[in-house]
Amino acid sequence: MNRKKPFLARFSSWYLILILLFTYLPIGYLVLFSFNSGKMRTSFQGFSLRWYEKMFGDRTMLESIKYTIIVAVIATVVATVVGTITAIGLSKSKRLIRSIILETNNLPVMNPDIVTAIGMMLLFLTANVKQGLVTMILSHITFCTPYVILTIMPKLRQLDDNVAEAAMDLGATPFQALTKVILPQIYPAVFSGALIAFSMSFDDFVISFFTSGEGINNISMYVYSMKRYNLSVNALSTLIVVVVTIILILANLIPYIKGKKTQKEDI
Amino acid sequence: MNNHLNPKKLIALLLLVCLSVLPLSGLADGEVLNVYNWGEYIDMQVIYDFEKEFNVRVNYTNFSSNEELYTKLMSNVSYDIIIPSDYMIERLIRENMLQPIDKGIVTNLDQLTDGVKNLSFDPDNTYSVPYLWQTVGFVYDTTKIDPEIAEEKGWEIFRTPEYEGKVYMYDSERDAFMIALKALGYSANTESDEEIQAAYEWLREMDKTVHPAYVTDEVIDAMANGKKWLALVYSGDGAYILSENEDMGFCNPKEGTNIAVDSMVIPANAANPELANQFINYILAYENSVRISEEVGYASANAQALEELSSEDGAYAGNSAYVPRAGYEKDEMFHDNEIMRKQLSELWIKVKLHE
Repeated sequence: MNRKKPFLARFSSWYLILILLFTYLPIGYLVLFSFNSGKMRTSFQGFSLRWYEKMFGDRTMLESIKYTIIVAVIATVVATVVGTITAIGLSKSKRLIRSIILETNNLPVMNPDIVTAIGMMLLFLTANVKQGLVTMILSHITFCTPYVILTIMPKLRQLDDNVAEAAMDLGATPFQALTKVILPQIYPAVFSGALIAFSMSFDDFVISFFTSGEGINNISMYVYSMKRYNLSVNALSTLIVVVVTIILILANLIPYIKGKKTQKEDI
Repeated sequence: MNNHLNPKKLIALLLLVCLSVLPLSGLADGEVLNVYNWGEYIDMQVIYDFEKEFNVRVNYTNFSSNEELYTKLMSNVSYDIIIPSDYMIERLIRENMLQPIDKGIVTNLDQLTDGVKNLSFDPDNTYSVPYLWQTVGFVYDTTKIDPEIAEEKGWEIFRTPEYEGKVYMYDSERDAFMIALKALGYSANTESDEEIQAAYEWLREMDKTVHPAYVTDEVIDAMANGKKWLALVYSGDGAYILSENEDMGFCNPKEGTNIAVDSMVIPANAANPELANQFINYILAYENSVRISEEVGYASANAQALEELSSEDGAYAGNSAYVPRAGYEKDEMFHDNEIMRKQLSELWIKVKLHE
């Protein structure tokens, strides 16, 4: 009687397939059309690399990529460092202070981007700061940091406080205790915090629009402003997908390879 | 002990990462010209050539609507050249946000084509120099709709029951109400409540009769692929559609239409007005006008360029959408009118909701 799979089990595998389709089909479609030899985004006319050529010949587009990367890298590095230190500090502070600061930290996360964006713009205007790359980077750091803190806090709660203290008892300086004892334990959370910060910064439109000055476009602003869509946007997106895939593969492979090495050394 | 990490090393490493991306920001020396234009609205080679000839660097960025441009201007940034549309220029002039053109430098002003001379918002080109211009019309599939019928029906073609489900309507209250007002014989800039109400009824009828798909720029691709029979488009996009799909025809309706001009202007707070004037003059020059208009498909403001591109050897030979109709007395330009804009916007939402 029980030979057939129960309905729920069948349903769940279909459900999974559907989710995967919805996630990956559009990306596949986008990648396919980046190789279209025609101008249309709906009918495929043959294989060519013309949109890649156009992309690398289009200085405005290349500059938008450059600005996106500059801002994302700096914002990620600063936000991760600031966020990690804040989180570690908070985990050691009094309960009341911790909850006050965490709630304040949640506010920008819950707030719609447009509020942050206009607030930032008004702040720069009032302070009479000339808007440009620097104001854009500052804003990105500001909205990325809360995400880093949020990702790291739960991991810190699992830590045993005594380990760091033991390290210091055994002669480690506080900084050594931080880098050699605490950081290695929370490393996965720091890494995912950094990844979230990077992708938040990378595809931000609203905050970048209101806080950047003249002559600065990031990728989102550039694509949004195109009067007539052309397929070099697909080419650009394809490159981004490839880069992200490589990063993810490396991020998963490196710990694995390292693990094997240490195993061998142990033997 | 190979991965020993001391504080100084860690900080140095982080600084190195930050510093290594900074040179990418390329703070070039020499003069810089900040140009803010619509996306995909130029031949970039013209910009590169300008940089070489004048030994400057052009920071070229894009916006997607006049309102977006206005927002950006409000946040205290300083552009040297911006290229808004007619009604927005009217507003910028009224708010003293522009500075006059130096006609001693912009000597190519005498090459303007008749269609963009004496424009109502700036008749003497005191503040603005036309860049590209166009009208609003409709593109139709000539294998499905007879050109004679199209010409004869004018805007009423959007209320033909036989075309139900075969129509794209451009999702913009200003353009939609323009065709309704024109079809009824009123001015597109009317402030009369009665006339606007009549136009609203006209559009409701249109919505009920043909059940159009309300679209924006995706109409360009769709019509180039011949997805539907009829679409409201700007003539510049019409020129592109016609060059991609030879079955398509373009019509400037007999009841009159809207003429839209995008002009180059210099904001009052421009950092480099002299170079900006030189840039305007350079863009307006015959050979550069040809290159820009050929790439974009919108009509050039330069008379000779317009003639060249639409002549028999030109890139837009035989393309009925490329050259906008000029001097037709029923055609008019939009004026900046905030109150009317809001009113139309509310009514337009009602039309789309089939209320």
